[in-house]
Amino acid sequence: MELPVKTSEFLKQTGEASAFAGRFFKEAFRPRYEIAEFTRQCFVIGYKSFPLIGLTGFIMGLVLTIQLRPSLIEYGVESQLPAMVGIAIVREIGPVITALIFAGKIGSSIGAELGSMKVTEQIDAMEVSGTNPFKYLVVTRVLAATLMLPVLVMLGDAISLFGSYLGVNIRGVTSFNLFYTQVFDVLAFGDVLPAFIKSFFFGFAVGIIGCYKGYYSAKGTEGVGQSANSAVVVSSIVIFIIDLVVVQITDLLNLN
Amino acid sequence: MAKKTVNTIKLGVFVLSGLLFLIVMLYMIGKNRNLFGPAFVLKAQFENVQGLVPGNNVRFSGIQVGTVKRINIINDTLIEVVMLVDDKMQQIMRNNAIVAIGSEGLMGNKVVNISPARSPAPFVTKGELLSSRKVLNTDDMLQTLSKTNQDIAVVAAQLKIAVQRVNNSAALWAILNDETLPQNLRSAAANVQQATARAAIVASDLQSIIGSVKNGKGSLGAVLTDTSFAVSLHDAIEKIKGVGDKADELAVSLNSVITGVKQDYNTGRGPVNALFKDSSMVVSISKSLDNIQKGTDAFNQNMEALKHNFLFRGYFRKLEKQKSKENRQGFAAQ
Repeated sequence: MELPVKTSEFLKQTGEASAFAGRFFKEAFRPRYEIAEFTRQCFVIGYKSFPLIGLTGFIMGLVLTIQLRPSLIEYGVESQLPAMVGIAIVREIGPVITALIFAGKIGSSIGAELGSMKVTEQIDAMEVSGTNPFKYLVVTRVLAATLMLPVLVMLGDAISLFGSYLGVNIRGVTSFNLFYTQVFDVLAFGDVLPAFIKSFFFGFAVGIIGCYKGYYSAKGTEGVGQSANSAVVVSSIVIFIIDLVVVQITDLLNLN
Repeated sequence: MAKKTVNTIKLGVFVLSGLLFLIVMLYMIGKNRNLFGPAFVLKAQFENVQGLVPGNNVRFSGIQVGTVKRINIINDTLIEVVMLVDDKMQQIMRNNAIVAIGSEGLMGNKVVNISPARSPAPFVTKGELLSSRKVLNTDDMLQTLSKTNQDIAVVAAQLKIAVQRVNNSAALWAILNDETLPQNLRSAAANVQQATARAAIVASDLQSIIGSVKNGKGSLGAVLTDTSFAVSLHDAIEKIKGVGDKADELAVSLNSVITGVKQDYNTGRGPVNALFKDSSMVVSISKSLDNIQKGTDAFNQNMEALKHNFLFRGYFRKLEKQKSKENRQGFAAQ
């Protein structure tokens, strides 16, 4: 029985990506470590993404607060606005929105960068010159993405909460002291830690998919564009799937 | 591939600030949950913890002082709540404080409220069991409400019957529809008012009479207040008493007279004895009576002869006619 081309292609890609991830773990824990390149990637992936993440986070906090206010007024719990926005941002909006923006910015840039290197045969040249291209290109990028996204999520949360504080003060008057007291009063470890842990997985997914798409890019200029595009699309979908799985696990563990 | 410049200071600041926010967030949560400060254990026992779970807040007089650490079931009617309370409270809380389970707002999380008893007692010690108070929970309230509802239903049913009876009562509606009633009521009220006014006058008159009686005016006043009257009354009573004494004496002498008569009768002396016991006297009296009868008969004959005499006949006939006429009139009347 022949599988449809698309299905077999999907299964083939899944298998290849899994093997790629396995190879990453194999290479990552084996010396020698490309510390300088890793730091550079951290700077590029983490620090350079911060303005974008900060801006989107700020706007999300502000908009969410303004949008929630009428509904809360309807139920007469306007005073719970900081608590509600705090929970929403820390648990879900912060990690997921940050990860999606991150996938758009970093996933596409990794896919395009590695794809063009593949197309211009720089990867092959590296291999010939005795440098392990996988270690130098893939491991550093994936590790940087995995470790930088949680930091970005935390900062994004902070900026979102600040945006939310401004949003609360557009229509009402709440001191900053009262605002953060209310926010931290409702937050529990069960809200922060699962969100923090899942952002590592988001970062890893964005990094590994971007690298895989670039590393196995088709030849030609078209292939570069395709790998950049599919890196963003697939990593976005994977982010949601991971989110779904994590929510099931935290629910099972009674961390909700 | 052009090498990009790496600013490690910027990267360091970026990473550290991210971690700092994470740490601050975790610390704030931990501080709220009382995980970091030194704490000691207090216990309380309840019949029903109403959904309290470990991690719920413990409040002392409304201030957050700790969290619920554990909930143990001791037996089927006793549940022990183990609380973790800030060490600083050891110098504040007394061991007669009372523990109750409440909730944050109407529908909020459960909290443990510790309230101080206003009487002196030593400070709490670690692991001490505090006394607990049962508070009303929503179920109890709803049960009471349901009972009240049933009562209200019964009352409403009876009220309905009463209203129906009132509605169906023609007499009441006639009274209500009677338009002259208000006027009657008004005039009745006016009458009552007049009567009251008169009663007031009467009362004031009475009052003045009583006043004058008190002051010794009028005959009643004299009776009540005049001392000379009392003296003469006393005299009169004395006289009545004297009359009574004389009557007594009279009765005694009457008695002696009767005794004398009785003795005469028995002994055969005096006229009484002659009247009752002398038989010759009876005979002469009987003879006298015979003579009188004969005389009367003779007179009767004389009278009969007189009737038939022509001189008197007209008078007697006239008499008979008048008599028969009266008899006829009597019949006609009957």
